[in-house]
Amino acid sequence: MATNYEGGGGGGGGGSGGAAPPKSIPSGDDAVWADAAPLIEAACNDLQEGELVHGENFSLFAAMSALEIMDPKMDPGIESSGYCSVDEAIENGIAPVPLSFDRTVDVKHTLDVMDHLLACEATWHNGHSLAQTVFSCIYILRIERTSPHPLLHSYCRVMRATCNAVVSAVSDARTHEEEDLFTMSYGLPLKDGGDDKCLSILNSVEETVSRQLRACKAQPSKKKVLEEFESLQTNPDLEEGYCRAVLCRLRFRKHFYHALTCMRKPQGRGLELARKHIAACLSELDNMFKSLDFLRSHSFYQESAVTSTTASGCRPIGFDVSLNSRLLSPTPPRAVKVLSWIDAVSYFEKLLHYLDTICSFSLDPALESVLHFIVKFQLSQPPLVARAHLQLLLVHDGKLYGRDSFSDVIARSLALPDVTKDKEFQTNEFVLQLGQLLINLIKILCANTAWQRRKLGKILQDWSVISIQLELALKREFGELLNSSVDESVCMKVSKHLLMWAQEQTYWIALRFLTLGFELQLYSPSEYCMVYWYMYVIFMKQVETMQIRIVTGSDSSRRKGKKKRDHHARDSGRDAMASSYCLLLQCYMCLSEGLAMMLAALRNESNAFQMLNIFNSEQERFIQHFELLQKAQVPEHISYHIFKESTAHACISDVVKHNYFREAQRIAASLKGSFSADPERLAELRLIEQVAEHNRIALNVINQVGAGDPTLRVPLEFTHHNHFVVAVVKRS
Amino acid sequence: MAAAEIEYVSYGGEHHLPLVMSLVDDELSEPYSIFTYRYFVYLWPHLTFLAFHKGKCVGTVVCKMGDHRGTFRGYIAMLVVIKSYRGRGIATELVTRSIRVMMESGCEEVTLEAEVTNKGALALYGRLGFIRAKRLYRYYLNGVDAFRLKLLFPRPDPALLSANKDGRHKQHAENSAESSPIYI
Repeated sequence: MATNYEGGGGGGGGGSGGAAPPKSIPSGDDAVWADAAPLIEAACNDLQEGELVHGENFSLFAAMSALEIMDPKMDPGIESSGYCSVDEAIENGIAPVPLSFDRTVDVKHTLDVMDHLLACEATWHNGHSLAQTVFSCIYILRIERTSPHPLLHSYCRVMRATCNAVVSAVSDARTHEEEDLFTMSYGLPLKDGGDDKCLSILNSVEETVSRQLRACKAQPSKKKVLEEFESLQTNPDLEEGYCRAVLCRLRFRKHFYHALTCMRKPQGRGLELARKHIAACLSELDNMFKSLDFLRSHSFYQESAVTSTTASGCRPIGFDVSLNSRLLSPTPPRAVKVLSWIDAVSYFEKLLHYLDTICSFSLDPALESVLHFIVKFQLSQPPLVARAHLQLLLVHDGKLYGRDSFSDVIARSLALPDVTKDKEFQTNEFVLQLGQLLINLIKILCANTAWQRRKLGKILQDWSVISIQLELALKREFGELLNSSVDESVCMKVSKHLLMWAQEQTYWIALRFLTLGFELQLYSPSEYCMVYWYMYVIFMKQVETMQIRIVTGSDSSRRKGKKKRDHHARDSGRDAMASSYCLLLQCYMCLSEGLAMMLAALRNESNAFQMLNIFNSEQERFIQHFELLQKAQVPEHISYHIFKESTAHACISDVVKHNYFREAQRIAASLKGSFSADPERLAELRLIEQVAEHNRIALNVINQVGAGDPTLRVPLEFTHHNHFVVAVVKRS
Repeated sequence: MAAAEIEYVSYGGEHHLPLVMSLVDDELSEPYSIFTYRYFVYLWPHLTFLAFHKGKCVGTVVCKMGDHRGTFRGYIAMLVVIKSYRGRGIATELVTRSIRVMMESGCEEVTLEAEVTNKGALALYGRLGFIRAKRLYRYYLNGVDAFRLKLLFPRPDPALLSANKDGRHKQHAENSAESSPIYI
């Protein structure tokens, strides 16, 4: 039994009257057409409201999932309001071209369309679908219709080309798993072969309006202006204002498109030019904002300045949000609240500043600098479009900046002499694999932090596995050759260093995973102790590994007496930096240990810190938080029992004696000289000192009062550092 | 109003369904079809509880459980207490009853999602031993992030009894980094 209706939903023969099937559909050898309508109708009458069909292959779950409430394609109950098609909307005059036969009104309406489009664009960037935002504009859906209107046409063409460029960028970056609503453009006329010409069209419109503005300012008599040149609109007193309003919007569009195009040039070749365009964008956004008063004062505005999606305060013509919900695949049923125009302008300002930061990056070939830059960039939660462009700059064509092979990057990071030029090193299978892992790591680090943390947890396994493989290979190849000739010793040393380097990166990833937990607020205060303890353990391993690598690295360079003096200086410079970084890690290690032990002591000695154990205990929570670390054995031999052993007997007086926070302060103070040229690192040292100081004081107060004092309250606050908490002592 | 005045009842049948539906429809923001409710209460009636005060239904919890990638897991789909009855531990009691049934039925863990801004829910589940396992970016249609909350039940672990020196014990098979399907 089957039915077939020609055309889209709703048409075709075979209604409920039991008519014969259409003759145009032939029956085959094995198939006979039969009219199922009466059977279906009878079945429908048999089902009461709220009842379900269920069968062997149609479970309750399927029945529930089959229905999408409020989606008109799937929810027959939803009221179909609005037009059924774009054509119907156009026929009903929703998006006239020109927008008005009165040229002043036409310009006003065009400006409103431009403004609402900007608001839609910002709304799209902030997590909604194109279909419900930019493409709710009928002028964009049917761009050809706007050809007779150069101003609107050019704006729409560049707008569409920009959206296309941004969708491409985000798709290419592929960091958008949870954000995949962003790139969904199924069925939308997003691409158009002719969009390259759109800029030249916009330029000529800009030129025309620009001329008109110059004329306005030059002529003493405003009336004369209108007679001599093709004016924008009919009111001579308003000509200058409207010209300005139009120009800044056109220019913003142009420069924004150029900025994005320049940023996509490989190897950072277009970054300098991109910065110029970004600066122009910011300037035009400022002009747009300044046009608000003028536009509002010459319109019968309907909305307040704060909520309106246009500068004039009027609602724009030519938009219909519901059109696409009938035609395309998933548009979430919830109505989209378009950002206000003012918020949209703010969003673009913010975005442009992030893009500018990316364009200002020095393309430092050192891996540590790259990772540090990304981490710093991510602190203020940059938007998706910015993150995607960062990733595309960093990883292109399988190379860093599309320029340096990752084998080179690793060689440089190892800081061993001669390795950089070594062909064997470049093509070593482990080095190549590690290169792939680095590429993956950089991409993950550019993703939104929630998704990023989950991925970082997963890749720990990959890094752990490669370290194990490296270690096995090392034992296999060099196990018997430990005291052999110099050449083999070099190869062995490089392998050893590669192993240590891989382990250090693994610890770095593990620490990022743990510290992101603070930023994402994944830990409750009762869990801080175990997190800081785990951090302390990993910092310790990272420091150990790094120290061995630094020491054995510099040992051999000293042994090779034939080297030039430059090399020595460079090496010792690198060593000094590595040593400083190592000391910084030790600082963090002291802070972590201090916090872990202080919190453990509080739990042991104070009633205020007791945890209820209703359905499970601290052990289950430990297992869950550190499952991925345990699975990857990062580090090895760590378990809940070790944690318990280390902290079960912690007491405040012992913690005071150990002076962890003093030690952190001491190291931080000693590092100020090494980091004197680095204002960021200096700022970080200051924060560390403050955290250490506040905690040291709190600890002393608790020690004096006695942790068991029932009036003692110790709230924990992230007032100074986003990873290291500060204990505040209160008496109630 | 004493806690003893609240009567807790397990889902008893069709007559309870409209009570559950109207509570959830009124208080929660997601629109559910009747099919969604039936899915839960037909398949897992023993996991849905209602709270009554003097004959009026003032709260409900709706859950499910089943195999999820090799783990037998409970899921809390909806939890509602009407505004005027909040702050009295009714939600905690409803949830506790469901979780107890899940535990007794052999669930290894329980999970749910909650808005990051829902301090009340986060505190409630935190007290019961749930951790915030993941943060889900823009999980809700209004752009708000969610936490995936998970409660892991203690397991009698044979490896623990014969622990080796470093106390390492076998890890659970589940890869909790996989995201589970969105139920509602």
